Amino acid sequence: MLIEILQQTINGLAIGGVYVLIALGLTTVFGILGIAHFAHGSVSMFGGYLTFFLVTSQGLPVLAAIPIALVAGFVLGLLIEIVAYRPVRHANHINAFIVALGLTMMVEGINLQLFGHEQIVIPTGLSKVFRLGGVTVPELRIYVIIAAIVLVAAMMLFVERTKTGQAIRAVAENRDAAILMGVNVNSIPLIVFGISTSLGVAAGIMVGALFAIAPGIGEGFVVKGFAVLILGGLGSFPGAILGGTVLGITESIAAGFISSAYKDVIAFVVMILVLLIRPQGLLGRSP
Amino acid sequence: MKRTLTLLAWLVAFATLAMLPQLLTIKYYLHLSILALIWVIMAQGQNLIQGYTGYVSIVGAGFMGIGAYSSTLLGIHFHLPTWATIAMAPLVTALFALATGYPSLRVKGHYFAIVTLAFNLIIVIVLVNYKELTNGETGISNIPKPWGGSRDAYFYLVLILAACLTLLAALIARSRVGEILLAIRQNEDLVGSIGIAAWKYKLFAFVTSAMYAGLAGALYAHFQGFINPEIFGVAQSLDAILAVILGGSGTIAGPVIGAFLVVFLPELLRFADSFRLILYGLILVLATIFMPIGIVGICKTLIARLSRKGLRHGA
Repeated sequence: MLIEILQQTINGLAIGGVYVLIALGLTTVFGILGIAHFAHGSVSMFGGYLTFFLVTSQGLPVLAAIPIALVAGFVLGLLIEIVAYRPVRHANHINAFIVALGLTMMVEGINLQLFGHEQIVIPTGLSKVFRLGGVTVPELRIYVIIAAIVLVAAMMLFVERTKTGQAIRAVAENRDAAILMGVNVNSIPLIVFGISTSLGVAAGIMVGALFAIAPGIGEGFVVKGFAVLILGGLGSFPGAILGGTVLGITESIAAGFISSAYKDVIAFVVMILVLLIRPQGLLGRSP
Repeated sequence: MKRTLTLLAWLVAFATLAMLPQLLTIKYYLHLSILALIWVIMAQGQNLIQGYTGYVSIVGAGFMGIGAYSSTLLGIHFHLPTWATIAMAPLVTALFALATGYPSLRVKGHYFAIVTLAFNLIIVIVLVNYKELTNGETGISNIPKPWGGSRDAYFYLVLILAACLTLLAALIARSRVGEILLAIRQNEDLVGSIGIAAWKYKLFAFVTSAMYAGLAGALYAHFQGFINPEIFGVAQSLDAILAVILGGSGTIAGPVIGAFLVVFLPELLRFADSFRLILYGLILVLATIFMPIGIVGICKTLIARLSRKGLRHGA
């Protein structure tokens, strides 16, 4: 029983890392621009597909393909901001959300067009399995967890310690005041979208390596990402990290002990319960 | 003057639609027209919550599924006549909508959209996995079709229902309730500050829109004779949103036009089969950026401009 719980917790940490990365991108975009970037999941999976393509068709080693995919993600993020969201920046929030829905359809369509209907798994060649007591830990999961921690730490350092990070926080805090202080409000959304999309691509690669990528999977992940935001509190970094980890572990334990078919339902039920009991999220400030 | 003209336009539209079974020689187009009329009901419901109240709900297709499955299952298990199960489907859907609307309406804007979307995903997951009841992904076939499957008869049934529900939507929109819904869309805090319990009205709009969707689902099931969970996925909910946006949200004619567009547009885009999703998304993005007021909105602006010009010439 205890070993089973430990086992599922470790499994949950890996998937939780993926959720945290997706949620960090979403929470930054939401905090700065007030946009629910629904296409984030599909764009992330595009990154996973791209890595798969680079590795299998172009014969690149995985470690070379990943940076290329991350840079491609950054550029894609810039494009999305300029082409899709900038025109509706001053419009009603609902319009931005509907643009996001349209964008999701487009990216899903592009993924289908470029990479086909088949489900894919990124070949990593990491198949070693460690055994600690009765708990088995695949090597790949450990790398995923480490990579997630490193990326989250890097993101935190960037936002807390750099000048640009300060500007991003300033815009999130008070947009008008930030403009008065000389923050360029045209470049900040660009940077935010670039970085968020890169983080999403990293998550997409992890999904492709740990599980599999197939059409439609991105939507599930983006909804989980928003569930994490609701769990942790909107626009809160620590909230996203805590929320993602909690969701990942709850889901694995639920899949192990209750039912794997209904594990997604359990994740959503947790989200809805939090909304009912603590609408501001676990770490959110009460309004 | 303007009022009589609008009424006249509606009558002409209704008469034209009523003659469609005689006019259409290709039966496939009649089939599509029935689907489009079912979507009119769906879109009118979606418009109540999305267009008038300003809450983008993404659970429309899920409620459609609940309507479709409840009508079908009530017929199978209790041997009820089809007309009775179709009439009960919106009531069953309303129960689900009450249960889901209460938590979802605690959040606003994007988060309402996300929570309703999660409900749509839950509905599909349950439909897929609760195999004893729903037969899983295989779906249920041989659902009874009324009037021995006569298309013409079904067309008139759906036409009359769509017309009545459009009228009902217009009545709601013009009533005090409709005015409060519009006020909620414009400034919810202000509505609360003058002592109106906004949540009651939001819940009313949500449940009513779900009942529209439930009825549309039941009509769909008994028309096609086959249902499975995939039909009621998020993609269809997005179609309902698209119908409202394209036609013109917050108008009564908008959803009618939008519904016909979302049913016929994919057929027209069939030549570009694999690009369909991309094109569809592109249309949604472009429509939101360049014509957020929809086709009806654009027509209204044009008519207003023309009549102003006419007046100036007359004077």
